[in-house]
Amino acid sequence: MTDTMELEAPARPLGAYTRPKANTGWRDWVTTIDHKKIGILYGAAAMVFFVIGGIEALLIRLQLATPDGTVLGADTYNRVFTMHGVTMVFLVIMPLAAAFANYLLPLQVGARDVAFPRLNALSFWIFLAGALFLNMSWILGDAPDGGWFAYAPNTGVVFSPGKGMDFYAIGLQITGIASLVSAMNLIVTVLNMRAPGMTLFKMPVFTWMILVVQFLLLFAIPVITVALFLLMFDRNFGSNFFNPEMGADPLLWQHLFWIFGHPEVYILILPSFGIISEVIPTFSRKPLFGYPFMVFSGIAIGFMGWGVWAHHMFVSGIGPISVAAFSVSTMFIAVPTGVKILNWLATMWGGRVRFNTPMLFASGVVSMFTIGGLSGVTHSLAPADTQQTDTYYIVAHFHYVIFGGALLGIFAGFYFWWPKVFGHLLSDKLGKWNFWLMLVGFNMTFGPMHILGLQGMSRRIDSYSPGFGFEFWNMFATIGAFIIALGVLAFIVNVVMSARRARHEPPVGPDPWDARSLEWFTPNPTPVHNFDDDIQVEALDEFWHRKYGEDQNGQVVRVASAEEVCQDGSATDTHLPSPSYWPVVLAAGLPFVGLGLMYTLWLCVPGAVLILMAIYGWSFEPVDDPDGPHGHHNDHGSDEPADDGASGTTPAEEAPVV
Amino acid sequence: MKRPYPGWLAALASGAVLTLSGCASDAPLDTLEPQGPISRSIDSLSDPIFLVAGIVFVVIFGATAVIWWKFRDDHSTDEFPEQVHGNFRAEVGWTVGPAVIMAVIAVFTLISHFDLNSSDRTDIQVAVDGTTTSWDPEIVVVGQQWWWEFRYYFDGLDGVDLSDSRNLPPADIVTANQMVIPTGSEIGLSITSRDVIHSFWIPALNGKRDAVPRRVSPWKIEADVPGVYFGQCTEFCGLSHSRMRMQTVAMEPADFQAWVESQMGPAVAPKGVAAQRGQEVFEGQCARCHVVNGVNDATSSGADLVANAAPNLTHLMSRTTYAGGIFNLYEPNGTLNRPQLEAWLRNAPAEKPAYAEGRRGMPAMGLSEGQIDDVVAYLQTLGEAPAFDIIAATEVE
Repeated sequence: MTDTMELEAPARPLGAYTRPKANTGWRDWVTTIDHKKIGILYGAAAMVFFVIGGIEALLIRLQLATPDGTVLGADTYNRVFTMHGVTMVFLVIMPLAAAFANYLLPLQVGARDVAFPRLNALSFWIFLAGALFLNMSWILGDAPDGGWFAYAPNTGVVFSPGKGMDFYAIGLQITGIASLVSAMNLIVTVLNMRAPGMTLFKMPVFTWMILVVQFLLLFAIPVITVALFLLMFDRNFGSNFFNPEMGADPLLWQHLFWIFGHPEVYILILPSFGIISEVIPTFSRKPLFGYPFMVFSGIAIGFMGWGVWAHHMFVSGIGPISVAAFSVSTMFIAVPTGVKILNWLATMWGGRVRFNTPMLFASGVVSMFTIGGLSGVTHSLAPADTQQTDTYYIVAHFHYVIFGGALLGIFAGFYFWWPKVFGHLLSDKLGKWNFWLMLVGFNMTFGPMHILGLQGMSRRIDSYSPGFGFEFWNMFATIGAFIIALGVLAFIVNVVMSARRARHEPPVGPDPWDARSLEWFTPNPTPVHNFDDDIQVEALDEFWHRKYGEDQNGQVVRVASAEEVCQDGSATDTHLPSPSYWPVVLAAGLPFVGLGLMYTLWLCVPGAVLILMAIYGWSFEPVDDPDGPHGHHNDHGSDEPADDGASGTTPAEEAPVV
Repeated sequence: MKRPYPGWLAALASGAVLTLSGCASDAPLDTLEPQGPISRSIDSLSDPIFLVAGIVFVVIFGATAVIWWKFRDDHSTDEFPEQVHGNFRAEVGWTVGPAVIMAVIAVFTLISHFDLNSSDRTDIQVAVDGTTTSWDPEIVVVGQQWWWEFRYYFDGLDGVDLSDSRNLPPADIVTANQMVIPTGSEIGLSITSRDVIHSFWIPALNGKRDAVPRRVSPWKIEADVPGVYFGQCTEFCGLSHSRMRMQTVAMEPADFQAWVESQMGPAVAPKGVAAQRGQEVFEGQCARCHVVNGVNDATSSGADLVANAAPNLTHLMSRTTYAGGIFNLYEPNGTLNRPQLEAWLRNAPAEKPAYAEGRRGMPAMGLSEGQIDDVVAYLQTLGEAPAFDIIAATEVE
């Protein structure tokens, strides 16, 4: 593994290996601890799973296109819809949000990297290990079949005797580690590493929303982990936490799942809210309307999100008083969400709105999420929900929230920040195809599901009989699903074509959108060291305010060009943390432990060896490589990211005391 | 200059037309066509909310449309629009305004909610075994993979121990998949499960309530007029979740009384030779799980299945559906739907997915064709066919 022996190695007698040096090629991608590359890795991996989850969705729609569908059969269908849900929630939307958070959050607060760069790499590799572990269940012929919600006791060994739910329980525990580690990392980054002058209320709304999401993750992931841990013990070691035969109450699982599961909804949606809160002002050429309200409503959603979980259980028999309380709390969570919608509209109102692709997607979020929010209000009414719950009306609702709200917002982010990340724009023309195909296909697929649900079509059914009035809209929805697929295809084509075109064209320049926040101080694509110099922040939207001022009449006048404001990325004496082998090694051990718990405990041995080796190597890894391309020791500011290598945030010069 | 998308509004309008036409189609599970006072009260709560939601929808989409038309950058000038940072009063307004609207909705919701969870039953008179019983109409509903059982206790549920759903006390009437109720009375339901969680739902009569093992959840239904009301299990319950349906047959009280009387008796001993041979096959094979009163109800200690129960077949022919409410027992003309029944007896898992090897669902019994004919002959002796209008009403297709 080590291709060069270190002369300085003796100075760190316990350093098992030198740190890797590659900054190009696959070695670089595997060992990188650069938040930007990790962001790209998150995005790329999530898009692969997006395609997988999308294929699962198309299979679902093919099975349901006609009555008595035979495309999949009941057993396979149950596995496919389970994995579609698990994939889209845990392996697509969450990591896509992580991709944006990793790439942009340090840039938006003017930092060099996240607080703990190696832990950041560990988060990604653990996520990937968990994701591959979950999808390995397809190859081993036993994908989970109990739904992403995994209601007990249907997921116990008696009712789900295969290994599928073990893949679920263990796989999601693994991805949960990734989320937790990442949450702590990003919280510390935001709280400790903001550029001088950037008070919390000068932070971009995207950073704010990501911060709220990290707190939600910090408290929600442990709950689902406990539930999954208990489920794993029930299934593998004969415990009876969820076994009604032995006196357990199956509703325990539902409470644990939804105490996680409802904040999870906001974990999925708030990053998108953050993204479009950056996009809408930029393209409306106005500041965000009511920044404090936007921040506080996001925080309010984060808090209130903890008090509504039992609205998923209105018909489970929890008693009328509980149902009444959660019904009312659910109604009031509509208030901060409504504030956001109206503030976005007010931002656009009176603007000079340029409907480039990012803005199309952002305004798509505002409209489509409104529909999802309104249908959400209709089932906050517990009596109405007794008719609506577990029908396609709910399927329609949460797809309007998660596809129409979260995913469209993420696509807005792709188009908006693509030049920041890759140095060239995505084609606006193909982008518009992308948007309109997705929007039309999306509404064709999920719009009719409102009708199907109100007509009584139950969720999670692998087939329906003719004569219930379900035929027409199901066929219609299936056609819509394939139009969505065309939209996704347009995106992929756009990515490839734009990259090819960019080779023959001059670079995009520093500020393609006339943007507002700190990340645009860096050239495009962002250089490895991010900022040449610290930025002294005076105002919210600092970047914009350096470009524009006001004359005596209150008119906006340009005071500097973007080229003048932007840094040129020429700094060479920046200290950067060195790459590391150990995150990927540690993560690679986890699936072995998981398989060992399921098949034979002996498989835990190589897993444990990998993990222990990685922890050892990690602990005693030399803090830095002074001669490597990354290591230039000077110019340490107190706000600079310190490598977590030796002892938390000890600056590299101070040798760790072992 | 490029026209802003007029096709957008056209699509919306045509969508609305399609939506309305979709709702008008024949849908036996439609949630918006209540057939009893309980479901009607839900409907009368929901309808105004759909209206409120519709108004908000129009306002938001109207604003979006105005932004598209009026505030698009037409590139006529490079000037910035007025830089508005917010408007505190407006924002407080659209924080407090929706909160007030929601508070009003909450009041109506809570009134409706507690009303739905109250019980307002009056006893009805039912003649049982020749003596008139004052029955507090309450039916125990038991879900299991993948069918429903309905148990009638005419002496009421006081002192009836429902805590162990796999060993329930004997009931006056035990039937499956098709629940029979009298019209005009609120029927209390006690819903539980023998294995995983299911959900009992007859949309025309009330919303749904989960059947949770070790829990007995109260619920209720009421039908205005006689008819057959369809339902579908709505909580994912494993492999054949989609094939777990149920029906509620509402009858005039007099017809209900007649139904009770016919259900109370044990099975009549079969007369034909084939049917007698069929009963032998039943006792040798089917009786391991199924019960026919008067044949093996005294000796049966429960079914050799995870749920410890299979449908009671004593009055099979009085029902119009079987196997979790997915097959019609009769042809539309009222004759036996023999091909389907034979196929079911020949190889049940091929007709309806099940984990027979995991003792969940009916296995392939390995009967010979002759035995199948005999069993069909025997089954035809079990109970009387229902009135023809019920047979006709259960034909969905």
